[in-house]
Amino acid sequence: MENEKIIRKEQTRERLLRLAPVMGLILLFAVFMAIAVIRDINIPYSFKNIINQSVIVVVGATGAVFIYTLGSFDISLGASLCVSALLGAMAYNRSGSLLVMLLTCVGVAVLISLISSVLASVFNLPVFVTTIAMLSLLNALALVLIGANGTGDVIQVPAAAVRGINNVWVKLAVMLIYLGFCVFMFNYTKLGRHEKFQGGNPVCAKLTGLNGKRLAIAAFAIAGIGVGLGAFLTITYAPTLSRNTASSVGMDIIISIVFGGMPVSGGARSRIWSAAIGAVSMTLLNQIMLTLSLDSGIGQMVKALIFILVVFISMSNNKGNILPR
Amino acid sequence: MKTVKKFLAVLLAAVTVFSLSACGSDPNQTTGTAPAASASSEAEKSGPDDSKNVKIGVLVSDVTSAEALAFRAYYEEYIQKQYNVTFMYSDELADAAAEASAIDNFIANNCKAIISFASADRPAQIEQCEANGVYYAVATGTLTDEQYEKFKSYKYYVGAIGPDLMTEYMAGYNMAKSFLDQGYKYFGMFGGATPYYTEMHIYRAAGMLVAMCEAGKGTYLGASDFGGMIGAIYGAGCQLAPAVIGDVELVGYVGGYDFDDAWFGKLAAVANDPKVEVLLAVGSGQTAFAGFKREGQKLGDIDCYTKDSVALMESGTLNYLAGKFSASIGPIFMATLSAVQGHPIRNAEGNAFAIGQGYWVADNAETAKEYFAVDSSKTEPAYTRAMLDTLYGASYQDFENFVKAYSFDEIKNLAK
Repeated sequence: MENEKIIRKEQTRERLLRLAPVMGLILLFAVFMAIAVIRDINIPYSFKNIINQSVIVVVGATGAVFIYTLGSFDISLGASLCVSALLGAMAYNRSGSLLVMLLTCVGVAVLISLISSVLASVFNLPVFVTTIAMLSLLNALALVLIGANGTGDVIQVPAAAVRGINNVWVKLAVMLIYLGFCVFMFNYTKLGRHEKFQGGNPVCAKLTGLNGKRLAIAAFAIAGIGVGLGAFLTITYAPTLSRNTASSVGMDIIISIVFGGMPVSGGARSRIWSAAIGAVSMTLLNQIMLTLSLDSGIGQMVKALIFILVVFISMSNNKGNILPR
Repeated sequence: MKTVKKFLAVLLAAVTVFSLSACGSDPNQTTGTAPAASASSEAEKSGPDDSKNVKIGVLVSDVTSAEALAFRAYYEEYIQKQYNVTFMYSDELADAAAEASAIDNFIANNCKAIISFASADRPAQIEQCEANGVYYAVATGTLTDEQYEKFKSYKYYVGAIGPDLMTEYMAGYNMAKSFLDQGYKYFGMFGGATPYYTEMHIYRAAGMLVAMCEAGKGTYLGASDFGGMIGAIYGAGCQLAPAVIGDVELVGYVGGYDFDDAWFGKLAAVANDPKVEVLLAVGSGQTAFAGFKREGQKLGDIDCYTKDSVALMESGTLNYLAGKFSASIGPIFMATLSAVQGHPIRNAEGNAFAIGQGYWVADNAETAKEYFAVDSSKTEPAYTRAMLDTLYGASYQDFENFVKAYSFDEIKNLAK
């Protein structure tokens, strides 16, 4: 009886902790709405703004969840997005086709991701090590591409070419289609289950016959699609690209995933929705800071404190080596 | 549990649908279209309307440099206290997407106008503001001729005040010439953002090199005049290198802002070269060279007036400073406020203005101290409220004359 009470208490606690990111998002939304009404800001425009600001991170981070579930991480996603966008823009300027631009962005991003994971496989290194090398390589490649394009320090797509697709509905459609694909792959296919197993206990996963390297390649490929879509959306939002394009996206992806309640060690407790929840939460938090006219430094400190709190809550949900029952 | 999850999912979806259905609203619905301009003399007499707070967004690509901080101090610690305005500053903007995002933030927060110090994609900024009925002005910069022709008739484009490219060229030319006239022949140069195709720095560098060509009776990259030098620099991919220029020599050159050990090493190598007599910087010379400068070497910089730069002038570390003064952004503020309140300042053709404004030049410590005292004043800056109010609803000619009288002495006369 006593044991049953303890188990039920733990289960309730675990459920609450699992719901914490969603509750946090709702709380942030409520705070944002309250401040918006008090300060009389343009609420409809703010919602459009939130979508614009979060959609690129949502698609990039959702794909990255597959990598993080394996207990790994990729530090080069921002640089990969930049290079994919630059090549996508160059492809548009040569072909005049938005479809070619989209396919180039996605193709290049997937190729970069596959190179990272295959290199790790060949050299038998932890994947994140190759992503560190890729980061430097991609930053240099961005400079080379800009130089080779011969248009100064930027590569531009004509604004008129992307004006028609630079709207909330297109962005939402891209985001929802990709989210749907990732949710399906993560929650309803063997791939998702195998990844959680691999991330939770690589030794047991290997003993049961799972190939960790193949899982890593699949995870990186899916993440690459997200990065490619993010690159395409970046071009539609701001068709002037430079070496600084997407410079903060890499860090934003990492923060979003953790903010959304994703366990940093991956494994069975990984949630595909973490990225979307985290990205939107972060954007709402930024909007709140801005509307309150908080000094940039204070705003950063507040975000850092909330981030630490979120990680603490997420870590306290992890009972060491015991998997959920 | 499942019920709770479903409820939360439905709640989130409902909020999203509700918010999206309102997304098509015109952000200017509450403000309406820009009011028609009234007679400028009446507006000028009545002065700015202080009865209603006006929110102005400020786009900045640099938040930490001394120049950026000085500009911000003028707006926040003087202008905001004198007028019923609220400035909303962006974070540091690294690229065009960040600029677009910042403008969206300003619009969402009901900013009536945006003053821009960021230039990753000015055309996109102007288009975004025009589409949303928000006034846009360029501070301390200019549009290219092509851009100006395209945007000059835009209703919400206020105009640009800043050093035009010829002013930048002459700033570099005059600085180099001042040392050449003193008999110096061996130079080290910091090219700043020249390798990144930043026009401002390219033109300053070109000015310095043309001055050297004239004094040394030689050429650099085969060029010796303004047009040729600009073409030569672009032709070299904006990658400059040391060279002998007749009797003068560019002994050492460093470009870019790597801020790594190798970069500092290169700067030190140029400064420590025993042949180098004068170090010239297109900007940030104090950061680049002041720490490595040898005894007896001269240093010239194009930057801004700060406590640190004045201290360097007093110690003899810095010998020539062409600097923007922080109140130089006063007129563009007043033109923006004037436009928001229905009195846009347009030129004779009814177009937005593009007015050049240059630097205060000090080649000795006393002058630098005098300039800095005015520049840093929180109560009596170079452009006070009384002076700026004369620009409210002013005619284009009066406005242009005011802005072009930017030298320290001319401003002192204006103040009387």
